[in-house]
Amino acid sequence: MSDVVQAGVRGFHQVDEVVWELGAESRADMRVPARVFADRELIGQIAADRSLEQLQNVATLPGITGAALAMPDIHQGYGFPVGGVAATEPPDGIISPGGVGYDINCGVRLLTLPVTALELGARTEALVHEISRRVPVGTGHGGALELKGAAFDRVLVQGPRVLLAEHGIGTAEDVEHTESEGCLEGADPTTVSERARARGADQLGTLGSGNHFLEVQRVARILDPRTADVFGLREEQVTVLIHSGSRGFGHQVCSDYVRRMDAVQARYRITLPDRELACAPLSSPEGRQYLAAMACAANFAWGNRAVLAHRVRESVARILGPQVAEGTRQIYDVAHNVAKLETHDGRALCVHRKGATRAFPAGSPEIPSGFREVGQPVFIPGSMGTSSFVLVGRQGAMDRSFGTTCHGAGRRMSRTGARKKITGAELRHELEGQGIVVRCPSNRGLAEEAPFAYKDVERVVAVVERAGLAGRVAQLLPVGVVKG
Amino acid sequence: MSYRWVEHTAELEMEIEADTEEAVFRDALHAVGELLDSDASGEQVWRQVTVDGHERAVLLVQWLDELVYLAETEDLVPEDAGRIEFSDRGLVATVRCHRGRPRHLIKAATYHRLSFERSDGGFLARVVLDV
Repeated sequence: MSDVVQAGVRGFHQVDEVVWELGAESRADMRVPARVFADRELIGQIAADRSLEQLQNVATLPGITGAALAMPDIHQGYGFPVGGVAATEPPDGIISPGGVGYDINCGVRLLTLPVTALELGARTEALVHEISRRVPVGTGHGGALELKGAAFDRVLVQGPRVLLAEHGIGTAEDVEHTESEGCLEGADPTTVSERARARGADQLGTLGSGNHFLEVQRVARILDPRTADVFGLREEQVTVLIHSGSRGFGHQVCSDYVRRMDAVQARYRITLPDRELACAPLSSPEGRQYLAAMACAANFAWGNRAVLAHRVRESVARILGPQVAEGTRQIYDVAHNVAKLETHDGRALCVHRKGATRAFPAGSPEIPSGFREVGQPVFIPGSMGTSSFVLVGRQGAMDRSFGTTCHGAGRRMSRTGARKKITGAELRHELEGQGIVVRCPSNRGLAEEAPFAYKDVERVVAVVERAGLAGRVAQLLPVGVVKG
Repeated sequence: MSYRWVEHTAELEMEIEADTEEAVFRDALHAVGELLDSDASGEQVWRQVTVDGHERAVLLVQWLDELVYLAETEDLVPEDAGRIEFSDRGLVATVRCHRGRPRHLIKAATYHRLSFERSDGGFLARVVLDV
């Protein structure tokens, strides 16, 4: 606690070994407490930026219930902190586009290949290179699946299912093994602007830039053999992790609705400590229309990752042969920037997850039947060159965090700070020295994502495990990375 | 240049101090050009940009979003603007760009900690970009 107080955030107290709380009475405008899942080391890092202040701001939102929650990977964002969770209760509770973020349904998909790292061996570089040729990164458009008019709208309404039916992309198992089967209900293309369509028209199947990446990995350790077996993971197996979102389409949807909601705050008598929290009641025309537009962007994002997975399978077929491509399976695909209507303790709630992952436990009807005996898979990418983890949802998530766990390591250093400490060329050299194949056209972009710019992912996942939100299943280590 | 980047853990916070409102908007354009970080040898292109809005801070967000849109949909990197004209309805400007392949995309300009205020003899603006 002393770390927190020293950093200038008064009142947070330690509830148990991994939970810190600030009471609702600590600020006149807070409606619920602010609660953080972290150990002593992480809470000190978290208190170093504005993320706790942002969490307190979230606690002021109309209709918020329980507490404004933060996962251990929380860091400063805009409006909501990244790693923030807020549940609001309809009809008067609000929906906030900033509580979802600009990259609507940014998320992670994990594929397994039927080969070991040893079997991949000398072909690792060729595979990573082939993926980098087929997957447009940064501002690259070429290679995207360009759809227009009604065909584009069907992706917005149905997500990957229509890509399978009309374009032969993915498999029925891929669709089943996707959160919400890759389709949020209520998507209405008429709620989406022409500008959003223009930005997304040639971006289906593109990785983007920033922290988005695609990683070829090996399973370094199995930590929960029974669950790993159910997920289809074994030691030394090759996996491919895809991290991307709804690209310019989702960014524009968010921009459109933040602006629109900012303009109606007075009408709904909403006073906010930060304009980026602009919101409207879930039952209002603005709230309903945003939910319909956000669902379009979420479905677009799942479609985007489905096309990216298709490009990976094409690459696998070319380098390792068609049989290996056919045996490449999707474990699951999770969203980590989305608002979803869910039932918790018998109450219908709108759960905002901004840089946080749904983590439903065993028995949940919301997860694929094949995983129902163990729980939902969750993927926690580390920073470049470090471990990623496969987790499984636990009952504690339902009891303590509206069915939610963390989404990554969480930044701890600014992009400029990272660039001051290392150049892209130096980092490239370091990663290659560890045997990691790197394909990234931008040295600047590479340096900004240096491992030391992030928290220790092992500490982060240890906290969610100790809190009972999720359990560790497997540890993955990179052998190749493609980024914009 | 009168813009600077303020430390932010994940995004980019831009602070601009300039003598006139027009200079604030022009410097914001220069900052976007720097971020997009593209080879300037591409074809030069002019685009008229019209942005609606009353409040200067919101207008600045819309202006930045317009430049982001041009970069993303047409691969246009802004270099400078001709005269930026303000009216009750918003602003109109002619923007000089070069066609390139911007290496770093900006997702959006946000309303987080957004401000546009008079300062000592000039104006001070702040906007956070999601990158």
